[in-house]
Amino acid sequence: MRRYEMMVILDPDLEERTVAPSLETYLKIIKDSGGSVDRLDIWGRRRMAFEIAKKPEGIYAVVDMKCEPAAIKELDRQLNLNEAVLRTKVIRPGK
Amino acid sequence: MGSKEKKGKAPRGKAAAQLKPFKKKPNPLDKLDYIDYKDTNLLRRFISDRGKIRSRRITGVSVQQQRELARAIKNAREMALLPYTSTAR
Repeated sequence: MRRYEMMVILDPDLEERTVAPSLETYLKIIKDSGGSVDRLDIWGRRRMAFEIAKKPEGIYAVVDMKCEPAAIKELDRQLNLNEAVLRTKVIRPGK
Repeated sequence: MGSKEKKGKAPRGKAAAQLKPFKKKPNPLDKLDYIDYKDTNLLRRFISDRGKIRSRRITGVSVQQQRELARAIKNAREMALLPYTSTAR
């Protein structure tokens, strides 16, 4: 089990309050694999330093979790299949 | 040629040594053990107004910290938290 931190940028056209539930469904992947989600932090709409996919803003979310490498890989893959996800980044903090 | 070069070089080095009493390094600013790419306020202090990463000569941080800093800034850029370049001018 390793600690991971994932940052996700979502489409700003989404309803901000639907973000948490929809992310939760994705985070089931982690929980089902025996990992744990320690923190789900929705920053909300934020102006980006440059446009991504022609959008000047994005909804940022940061998730801290503990899981196996395979689980985070699968989560990352599935998120990137979603059109509403503009970008993701997985980091192992302190590494 | 060899001697001429030597002659030309020696005073320059000496002059430089005299001109610069080498002021003691300002302060490495950071006592952090982890530089977070999400902390844009901190990172902004280490980029120029064009968005370039400031060199260690200017930032005055340690080699290890500069490396962490560069890594953090690059991560922040990927997530559009910091600009790759500022188009202001």
